[in-house]
Amino acid sequence: MADSLSLPPSATPPGAAVGPVVRLEDIAKSYLLGDVRSHVLRDVTLTIETGEFTAIQGPSGSGKSTLLHILGLLDRPTSGNYFLCGENVASLDDDALSARRNATIGFVFQSFYLIPYATALDNVLLPGMYADTPKHVLRQRGLALLDQVGLADRAGHRPSQLSGGQQQRVALARALINNPDLILADEPTGQLDSKTGEEIMALLADINARAGKTVLVVTHDDATAAHARRRILVHDGRVV
Amino acid sequence: MTAGWSDAAHAARLTWRSLGMAVTAILAQKLRGVFVASAVALGIAALTVIVASVDGAREKALEIVEWFGPNAVMVLGGDIENRPVGQRVLTLTWDDARAISRSLPGVMAVVPMRSKPSVVLRHEAKNVVAPVVVGATENYADTWDWPLDEGRDLTLEDIERSAKVCLIGDAPAKALFGDASPLGKTILVQDLPVQVVGRLAYRGFTGGGGDTSVDDRIIMPITTLTQRFNMDRKYFRGLRVKFHDPSLMDSHLENLKSLLRHQHGIGPGEPDDFSLLSAADILKFLSAVTGGMTVFLGVTAGVAILVGGFVLANLMYLSVSERREEIGLRKALGAPGWAVTVQFLCEACVLTVVGAVLGIGIGIGLGEILSSLGLLKLVLTPKIPILSLAAALGIALVFGIRPARKAASLDPIEALRGGGE
Repeated sequence: MADSLSLPPSATPPGAAVGPVVRLEDIAKSYLLGDVRSHVLRDVTLTIETGEFTAIQGPSGSGKSTLLHILGLLDRPTSGNYFLCGENVASLDDDALSARRNATIGFVFQSFYLIPYATALDNVLLPGMYADTPKHVLRQRGLALLDQVGLADRAGHRPSQLSGGQQQRVALARALINNPDLILADEPTGQLDSKTGEEIMALLADINARAGKTVLVVTHDDATAAHARRRILVHDGRVV
Repeated sequence: MTAGWSDAAHAARLTWRSLGMAVTAILAQKLRGVFVASAVALGIAALTVIVASVDGAREKALEIVEWFGPNAVMVLGGDIENRPVGQRVLTLTWDDARAISRSLPGVMAVVPMRSKPSVVLRHEAKNVVAPVVVGATENYADTWDWPLDEGRDLTLEDIERSAKVCLIGDAPAKALFGDASPLGKTILVQDLPVQVVGRLAYRGFTGGGGDTSVDDRIIMPITTLTQRFNMDRKYFRGLRVKFHDPSLMDSHLENLKSLLRHQHGIGPGEPDDFSLLSAADILKFLSAVTGGMTVFLGVTAGVAILVGGFVLANLMYLSVSERREEIGLRKALGAPGWAVTVQFLCEACVLTVVGAVLGIGIGIGLGEILSSLGLLKLVLTPKIPILSLAAALGIALVFGIRPARKAASLDPIEALRGGGE
């Protein structure tokens, strides 16, 4: 856990700022089910450049969830290399991976995942707490982000007092609090009606266009994927 | 894994923030918090009572030694430890008293004692029952290291003349005279008019439990008491022997014992017909009584604390499995395993510390009841909050570490999937 704890937000290793945010080389993932080895991902090679807005699409069971988990450092590939902001993350231990997730990746989930007993603002600040950002700096940044997603007046509300769309906006603000290099959104519109889903995607597009953030959306939904400038199809564990 | 200063500081700040979050998390589950806190509170209450009563017993023991005198011994008629049936209790005579004061080396004073229980004292319209009227020889206050607030001690002349005088204890003096001085006043002891010549200082001390205090008594010349109340003039109930050097008590006791055996003509192998009681013996008896109480309370406190710990551990396991989603989320957002452990331990600590504060309150209340019933004497010291908080944190860490570890070991993917649709 040593050095990684004190990493400042957006801790891109020196010299690696230019170049792709994500580079996957021959990534494979397989599980042993009894005596049978089941291959979920094979030979995935993929590069995502800084500033891209990409959608990864595929039917359920295609392996896109596993790909998302590997991209998000929540799972390790069975073989292959993953360079995140130029750093090979294959050899990092769990706490180092936690620190990379915290500093480099902003997560948005299908079911929002807000802490029910914490206020909207506290939910936004959560990743910053683990990044050891000074409290007053963090608070200001959190309020500014809530303002950006149009929830300045909802900072003290609890998730149960917010609509689904509002909760996902809080989650978006939370994803941005540590100024990450990559926004990783897993079916961000999956639990929202189409109009609200559109609004969330518009916000993501805005974050990509104005802040230059690299955004990666994983979805099975065409309408959602249509917002992205680049679409990657996953089928039977391969990138098509 | 070389943790530098900045990491340690980060860990400290994160722990501090986790404490703040712990309070919010607990408030989200109030009823559960109440359960844990009250389970811990019961244990801490028992602990509070036991610590206070052990301190109380020690203070009482010191009082007894001081009151009795470390250099004194009581000689009682009869063998109190194994009294043969029909043995005479009245075996101590004036001859014994004289023999001790003349021929026993190292003796400072010999005070024969007789007493008469439950005597009515009267002055004008007021009356009060003295639980004991003590018959004493000269220099009573001096030999008992009991200062006089006013007046004089009993003198040899009082004894020889069977003078109708008395020293009055603090309680009857207050009851009969209020704030006025009792000196020179005449009171009726049963029907005998007796003049108060001295007033004993307040001792505020209950000898060996019960509701009688040493301040209840009045002291008269032993000769007056035996003659006027038709008591046996030959024998004493007890003799108090005071020596010069407390460090030689062991050999003094040996000498006293052989002298009395010789006086009473007891042959070798025959049992004593008297008992020697020193401050150490009284303490031994008292600690046997309070010791039993202490063991009982100690076991109760231990069991209660254990129960509190199990309640905490179980409700924490429940909480961990209910909050899988939150734990998975925190880990996904970059919380290292130790931060999750710290978070749950913080919640455990907040609960047990709240329990400890409650428990100290309950313990003190319980202690007040016990001491007002005269069952125990309790002394409250700063040791109580310190020990209680230490015990509370101990419970949180010992019983909380496994559920907290379990939380930290959750796989974020599994945890999030388990909570998702």
